[in-house]
Amino acid sequence: MSSPGTGVVLDDVRVEFRSSGRDGPVVAVDGITQEIPAGGFVSVVGPSGCGKSTLLSVIAGLRAATSGSVRINGRTVTGPDRDVGVMFQEDSVLPWKNVTDNVRFPLQIARVPRAGRPRLGPGHRPGRAAARRRIAQRAQEAIDLVGLGGFERRYPAELSGGMRQRVALARTLAMRPSVLLMDEPFAALDQQTRLLLGAEVRRIWGETHQTVLFVTHDISEAILLSQQVWVMSYRPGTILDVVDVDLPADRDASVVSTPRFNALHNRIWERLRTEAMRGFAQENRFPA
Amino acid sequence: MSPATAPPTRDGCRVTAGSVAVAVIAVIAWEIASHLSFVIPEPLDTFLALGRDLGDPRFLAGLRETLLAALAAFVLAMLIGGPAGLGLGLSRRARVVFSPIITMLNGIPKIVLYPVLLPVFHLGYGSKIVMGLLFGLFPVLINTAAGVREIPDVYWRLARSLRATRWQTLTRILLPAIRGPLLTGVRLAVSLSLVGVVLSEFFATERGLGRIVLSAYSSGDYAGMVSTILLLIAISFALSLFLWRLERRVR
Ligand SMILES: Nc1ncnc2c1ncn2[C@@H]1O[C@H](COP(=O)(O)OP(=O)(O)O)[C@@H](O)[C@H]1O
Ligand SMILES: [Mg+2]
Repeated sequence: MSSPGTGVVLDDVRVEFRSSGRDGPVVAVDGITQEIPAGGFVSVVGPSGCGKSTLLSVIAGLRAATSGSVRINGRTVTGPDRDVGVMFQEDSVLPWKNVTDNVRFPLQIARVPRAGRPRLGPGHRPGRAAARRRIAQRAQEAIDLVGLGGFERRYPAELSGGMRQRVALARTLAMRPSVLLMDEPFAALDQQTRLLLGAEVRRIWGETHQTVLFVTHDISEAILLSQQVWVMSYRPGTILDVVDVDLPADRDASVVSTPRFNALHNRIWERLRTEAMRGFAQENRFPA
Repeated sequence: MSPATAPPTRDGCRVTAGSVAVAVIAVIAWEIASHLSFVIPEPLDTFLALGRDLGDPRFLAGLRETLLAALAAFVLAMLIGGPAGLGLGLSRRARVVFSPIITMLNGIPKIVLYPVLLPVFHLGYGSKIVMGLLFGLFPVLINTAAGVREIPDVYWRLARSLRATRWQTLTRILLPAIRGPLLTGVRLAVSLSLVGVVLSEFFATERGLGRIVLSAYSSGDYAGMVSTILLLIAISFALSLFLWRLERRVR
């Protein structure tokens, strides 16, 4: 499916936070050595606070690892890259822009000013008009791809939480990144909406063949969507288990009733259950 | 932005009718009160005095001076308070250093500084503009700083992940994100700048509406005094109302 060196390669990634408490630094993420092949879909599951967002922000280039390295498509990550799209856990749709303008936003930001180009006089800027048309077209494609057609002129305040996350997804897709990082994008939504949007993400992935890292705390969501699930532990956040999801590629929500799905679910749940109890004991200073 | 004009609604008509009713009752109450105390002029006399004054070049020159000084004070308040508020909102260190002194300065009754300003900035425009600035500065500064601090952290991460330049982050995320508090600051600064200017004119000045109010009082021209005060209130009210509507329209 991919040549070596492409996709996302994590090499012994460790992230410490200096804490104000007496315990010394908090190790949020430790010893993570994993790989997502180009075009692969991997989910990360783990209890809240285990370092999922931290790991994602390191891959996104938004935070430097304390040690270790991340390579994306063969290049070491040193900062944010427009070829890596991020969808944040929080609602990041800009309330003062309508759907179209939100989706166009990254494309407009990316249009770097062409310095030193000779001006041909006022009104004579063929480059600009063409760029604007290209941006409009790309944004419309992304809007249609996530099923927001007909809502172009709506403002975020007029949209449901599910629709707003569609806007965020369209905005990320409009840049056509080769890597898509999604941090619990549907965690705040109700179960039905989450299932629906999960199916959309999988359908879109089938069309775009991007490399996807999908963070969630929902085991079923992780199994339904991905080819591989990384199970993460709590403090330090390490990968406890890597589970290959050997379910049919054209699966839908009905797969949850199959024995294979249940077996995968049980395996991940067993891992997380002991982990969650250990984390609970640690948080509450019980003798573990 | 939403479409600028909404079709007139039944509700809108009812509100207008209500306002007219309140105004009529107020004028009637005023008429009755004017007969109870000789200090209160009759409404008709007051409006006549306003008409007389608005035809008087000296009055118009005073009006011009007051409004120009207030405008200058407001512009300075925005130019100083806006960037200072941004800096204060963005930098934790700046907050630690400057917050106490800003809180203290904002807390003192600014008019007590007027005698200090007079010898420095002189009796003309200088002192009253500085006084208007002192009144208008803090609402802009404090609202801007609070607005910046309330920007969701995820907006900054969004800007960074898109590799937005500092300028793009400022103009396309920061400023739109604080549009609400910023407009509140503008609205307060407009009326407070005017208050600062008129207040200093009450104390010492050569020209301006505050001075005119005071000399009308000394000469017993209560109709002229009240009409000038009403004019000031009307100007301030109209500006605030306009800005308040603008504020409600932003998303
Ligand atoms: N900026 C920070 N400073 C200090 N500690 C942090 C910071 N961000 C996260 N942490 C800590 O690191 C751990 C992992 O956080 P996070 O990656 O947000 O977890 P998750 O996304 O899995 O819920 C948590 O224990 C959290 O308290
Ligand atoms: Mg998280």
